[in-house]
Amino acid sequence: MARVKNIVKTNFFRDSVQLLHLSEEVKKLKGVIDAALAMGTELNKELLEKEGLLTEEGRRASENDMIIAVKAEDSADIHGIIREIEELLTRPAESGETYYYSIESALKALPGANVALVSVPGKYAKDVVMEFINRGIHIHLFSDHVPLEDEIELKKAALEKGVLVMGPEAGTSIINGVALAFANVVDRGPIGIVAAAGTGLQETSVLITRGGSGITQGIGVGGRDVKSPVGGMMTLFSMRALEADENTEVITIVSKPPSPDVQEKIVNLIRDKGRKKYVTCFIGGQEFSIPVELKGRLVQTNTLHAASLESIRFVSNSLYEKALERISLPPEKVAKIVEDELSKLREGQRYVRGLFTGGTLLYESQVIFKEFLGDVWSNTPLNKDFTLPNAWISKEHSVIDLGEEEFTAGRAHPMIDPTIRLQRIVQEAKDPETAVIMLDFVLGYGSHPDPAEAHLSAIKKAKEIASDSGRHLTILAHVVGTERDPQNALEQENKLRKAGVILLPTNALMALVAGMIAKGDSSERTARNFFEKYLVGRR
Amino acid sequence: MSEPDVSKVLRLFKEEVKVINVGLEYFYKELRKQGVNAAHVIWQPKPELEKDLEDILKKIL
Repeated sequence: MARVKNIVKTNFFRDSVQLLHLSEEVKKLKGVIDAALAMGTELNKELLEKEGLLTEEGRRASENDMIIAVKAEDSADIHGIIREIEELLTRPAESGETYYYSIESALKALPGANVALVSVPGKYAKDVVMEFINRGIHIHLFSDHVPLEDEIELKKAALEKGVLVMGPEAGTSIINGVALAFANVVDRGPIGIVAAAGTGLQETSVLITRGGSGITQGIGVGGRDVKSPVGGMMTLFSMRALEADENTEVITIVSKPPSPDVQEKIVNLIRDKGRKKYVTCFIGGQEFSIPVELKGRLVQTNTLHAASLESIRFVSNSLYEKALERISLPPEKVAKIVEDELSKLREGQRYVRGLFTGGTLLYESQVIFKEFLGDVWSNTPLNKDFTLPNAWISKEHSVIDLGEEEFTAGRAHPMIDPTIRLQRIVQEAKDPETAVIMLDFVLGYGSHPDPAEAHLSAIKKAKEIASDSGRHLTILAHVVGTERDPQNALEQENKLRKAGVILLPTNALMALVAGMIAKGDSSERTARNFFEKYLVGRR
Repeated sequence: MSEPDVSKVLRLFKEEVKVINVGLEYFYKELRKQGVNAAHVIWQPKPELEKDLEDILKKIL
């Protein structure tokens, strides 16, 4: 038997990552069966309820309160456990760490600081960022909900001072090999990336590394930068910087389709000021006509897979041939995987369920699905008519962005905390119409220390649920990571493979395989046509 | 409009990256794991004062 106890601490704030780590520590205490520390948002209360961790007291908590929820053995000293939790909460910072209460004092302690990583709530970001701009310090702005007018004001001020404002809502930047926020350990090389798409930058920098080349810099500018109101201020500025950088030979620009005026500015800047080689990757964008002066110097692509390969091709043709072997698959191999899986699936199993932690990867998948399945349901659909009525419940073909607000209010991002995805994998497996589950595993600094391990029991359970009903379940995964990432991509892939998961070397190939399975088409010709349209560039 | 000056960015590309982290402590720890020189600023929102109180404070300070 077990007892569940909730304690509510009113007006007590800890950020979602701190709470996640505290929860893990509490679970290790003697006598504790399960535990969670969470802010009292509706989402968190629902999850605690599902896990059998919520009591009447916890239900009364508001979103400004913190809930301590403990399930303990009957014989355990519950008061002793609570005392230990209180101690964990008031524990000072780790020994040897000095923290600062003002930017001024931090700057005194770290003379020569040249980058600020800012993740304060969006409405407060402007004041903090402006302090750094005025001191000539570059900024990576992770915060979301930064008002658009603040972004414009900040970027104008930054251009006057000649500093970078990478963001807002920039999940990733890699400066001189240093990972800012969520980023991988990638190789240095001659390709510079400007990205208005966080996981787009992760996927591209990883594929370039795994393909055998490397990057000079990966500059994340935030998704809104390429839209008309911001006008591409930081995209254009970063392109100019990479153009002037002696180590950069190829400049790769990654984003969802920019506003037409911004796209025109980008192409015009390449035409008028560019001397280097350029690859554009406007995922799902319309093909544009390449100015005649740029023939041979600009390649346009519409997937991250193609952008990475074409960037490597500009570095060297022989490297490109090797990269094809390392990060792509021949069309006949793709057709074979589809054929094998189709032979195991039962009639009536027809739907794809994509459970994504990376927004750009999800977006790219939807673009690819349009080719095979038309519009698919999502909480962030390409076509608004396909907005899921309830993001927690899939419908027909569905792809879910688990990094969106409805899944992250008061919780850590799913790249750090997989809890919600684990539940969802099992939920999808119970649906007899599910044929394919797609999973992205984004590694690197910022992410969960061992996401593959964390998913193994849910994957096993999902497979069991299917087989108990006489069904096969196809689980596809793509790991965005390198061997040098703290989680080691090869080890992660091996763990998943052993659990019966099919690994694909790129997100585009994962979407291709899922799309072909759902369409019931295993022809090599379909795969080959797709390769020509999506996996090579247009010159 | 004159062309933006990229010299500060080019300088950054040649320097050791040293980071001031403001906000999530987690990012500071991830930077330290990489061996990056960094300093963490504990950030909290300024308390919102009532307008009257703010006016009085402005007068006396």
